[in-house]
Amino acid sequence: MEEALLRIREVSKHFGGVYAVNGVSLDINHGGICGLVGPNGSGKTTLFNTILGLHRPDQGEIYFNGKSIVNLAPHQIYELGLVNAFQLPRLFHNLSVLDNMLVAARGQQGDKLFNSLFLRKRWQEQEKGLIKEALAILELVELDKWAFSPAGELSGGQRKLLEVARGLMAKPTLLLLDEPAAGINPVLGRKIFQRLQDFSHNGIAFFVVEHRLEILFEFASWVYVMDKGKIVIAGQPQAIIDDPTFYTVYLGEE
Amino acid sequence: MTVNWAQVLFNSAITGSLYLIGAVGLTLTYGLSKFPNFAHAEFITLGAFIGYLVAEQLGLGFPLALPVAFLATGVVGFLCYRGILQPLAKRGASIIHLMVASIALGFVLRHSIGAAWTWKPLYFTTPWSAFDMGPLRITGLWLWLIFAAFALALIMHFILMNTKIGKAIRASASNPELALASGINVDRVIWITWFIGAGLAAVAGIFRGADTQIWPMTGWDMILPIFAVVILGGIGNFYGAIAAAFIIGLAENIGVVGLIALGLSTTYRIGIAFLILIITLIVRPEGLAMLFRRA
Amino acid sequence: MDPLLYVFDLIVFIGIFSIISLSLNLEFGFAGLANFGKVAFFLIGAYTYALLSQIGVPFYLCLIAGALISAIFGLLVSLPALRLRMDYLAIAILAFGEILRLIVKSEDWLAGGDWGVTVSPAISLAGASHRVDALMNILLVYVCLLVCFVIVQLLANSPYGRAMRAIREDEVAAEALGKDRSKFKAQALMLGSAMAGVAGGLYAQYLQCVLPGMFMPMITFTVWIMVLLGGPGNNWGVLLGAALVQIFDRGANIAKDYLVLPIDPSNLQYILFGALIIFVLLYRPHGLLKESTIKTKALRLAYNGRSAVKNKGS
Repeated sequence: MEEALLRIREVSKHFGGVYAVNGVSLDINHGGICGLVGPNGSGKTTLFNTILGLHRPDQGEIYFNGKSIVNLAPHQIYELGLVNAFQLPRLFHNLSVLDNMLVAARGQQGDKLFNSLFLRKRWQEQEKGLIKEALAILELVELDKWAFSPAGELSGGQRKLLEVARGLMAKPTLLLLDEPAAGINPVLGRKIFQRLQDFSHNGIAFFVVEHRLEILFEFASWVYVMDKGKIVIAGQPQAIIDDPTFYTVYLGEE
Repeated sequence: MTVNWAQVLFNSAITGSLYLIGAVGLTLTYGLSKFPNFAHAEFITLGAFIGYLVAEQLGLGFPLALPVAFLATGVVGFLCYRGILQPLAKRGASIIHLMVASIALGFVLRHSIGAAWTWKPLYFTTPWSAFDMGPLRITGLWLWLIFAAFALALIMHFILMNTKIGKAIRASASNPELALASGINVDRVIWITWFIGAGLAAVAGIFRGADTQIWPMTGWDMILPIFAVVILGGIGNFYGAIAAAFIIGLAENIGVVGLIALGLSTTYRIGIAFLILIITLIVRPEGLAMLFRRA
Repeated sequence: MDPLLYVFDLIVFIGIFSIISLSLNLEFGFAGLANFGKVAFFLIGAYTYALLSQIGVPFYLCLIAGALISAIFGLLVSLPALRLRMDYLAIAILAFGEILRLIVKSEDWLAGGDWGVTVSPAISLAGASHRVDALMNILLVYVCLLVCFVIVQLLANSPYGRAMRAIREDEVAAEALGKDRSKFKAQALMLGSAMAGVAGGLYAQYLQCVLPGMFMPMITFTVWIMVLLGGPGNNWGVLLGAALVQIFDRGANIAKDYLVLPIDPSNLQYILFGALIIFVLLYRPHGLLKESTIKTKALRLAYNGRSAVKNKGS
């Protein structure tokens, strides 16, 4: 059996005695869309932040492509191919939309001090290609007209889209998406998930937190349900819908 | 080398008292307004000069100088905040912008003082008794300074713990939104804190001026050690500031002994506080705040 | 004083302070580091130049050495400082600068203590008049300024500069997108310190001496005003700021001799200066020139392509 792309084993994270994530174990496989759902406060965002290196887990292990990542800094985790799109968009407001995308691009020769000064030809060609890619992705999320505007001028929904677009630009092996369809009209939301599905057929895996269950369940191949810091159900969307525990998680005890 | 340790300890109390009076205002306003107010140096200087005005130029004597300087400088401090720094903050100025604005305010105050009085050093002519008590050399001024610091600590403690305004200050410092929601006029609390802070700075300025000299750089000469006290004690933490003031006072005076022993220049004395400041910021930026309840 | 010489002197000062302003713009305008100890690195460059030129090292090596030693100090300072909050960083570096000044003041053996060290000018032609000397200095300073300007412009208009600005805007997001923020910040501080070091060397050889009293915190604040006034994040703006502040300073000094004022002009100068800064912060906080956009060849092509399509359509 092929080893899972992301393996989380018994990860716990607490803040001042309260366990936001409590002994979570799960696997994400290569390719495909995997969902993470659960009521507010169940620990989904904390789990994501722990995976991408913003928090150190108090217990447990996380393996990405077989490599332990719990002690790595976020930029090192990015290098391995694990990228994140934040729930509350963290855009570079004074940079243009296009510049925001370009920051995310992988393997830029121009990122280094020496290269940026002395080997300009090397990265200038590369940048032309990256701009084409960026504009293509921006078109998918209908932001291409805003390419040269400062990111700070975007509306709330547009910022969400840019956050997702940026994640895609980073050519991740696994992209963590925290509520990509939040604040976006459902038609566009579905369109985005369709694009995600296209990308997933090209080998990118997606781990998606989403509250719009009807959209998520249409596209996800596997779903984890989280409640109070623990994984309570796991399975294919249909199986989740058929499981009565799912409803008690969201609606409380009968 | 024989060291008069009793004198070293006593001197530490003197230094610590001066720093305490100078730092209380700064730590409270820094904690509430969330930026380091470098104009605090000029509040100190202004206090010294107003004290000079009252005691020497108007000939009204030293004791009257203290309350007059306190009130006048308090008003100036309030105006600086209300007229310039608060509007800036409301426009979304960053910490750095506010800090630069306070430095600019400092220029204006410092050179206004220099213009209104003079850049030549001035002196209080009040005669202070000086006597020896065993190995200790004591002057009346120093006793008053230590007494003032002591009284300040007690009064502030009483105010912070037992009065409505004190509780309002503590609430606003730890959680402004909650304070606002519970009906506290946070704006007014901040105004009062800036008033008191500047007023106390003035008192420190008078003592400093009486102990050494009065000139437009009086406050600036003290401001970095005072920041050291604020940082070491924990920004916004009154009790921490008390401890920090005396720790730094001790460190400076023992440090002087060490400097002499090592054959180094005693101008490094002030560097001791700078070092403590840097080390605190690097190793433990919250300072002693952990040890003292928030106040 | 010879008016032409006075103008030359002003031009030299504008050049030297432009270099320091560019360095602060790199650190603060682009990388978001609140370096309130700029004068420390200026001092290091100046003293390095002074001490090396005393033992006969040629001027260009003195300048390079000044840059290198300043850069090393910049790196040392960056190690603990990088994770500090903005205001903590500012205060810590300020204190560091003061400690350095204290050391050069107190250690007479190092560089003459309070009395300093005399420095011979970099370029001196035998029998040259003061004017020619000044022109030589202008040449030297502005060549250095040009080099520095080209470097910071190239950096600003590159993926490296883009990454640096991203870190300034949101370092958590930038790090999550692969940028090692410690590395970028350390490099910014090193490069900025190197530039300040060069400026220090130029200053030392122009004034032909170094004294502790030449390196007061006032210089750091002056440079900050130059950057904030001109426009952080805009290299041209910063040059403008440097020129304006220097001219204001000189203008006030001249006015002193010609105007009879109720207030001693040197005090009035600072009062107006402080008021000016407050005014700028209140009404034009982003400075005279807005932050420059990133202009790489590829971006310009894409933008022009975009406008061409738009224009075709209309």
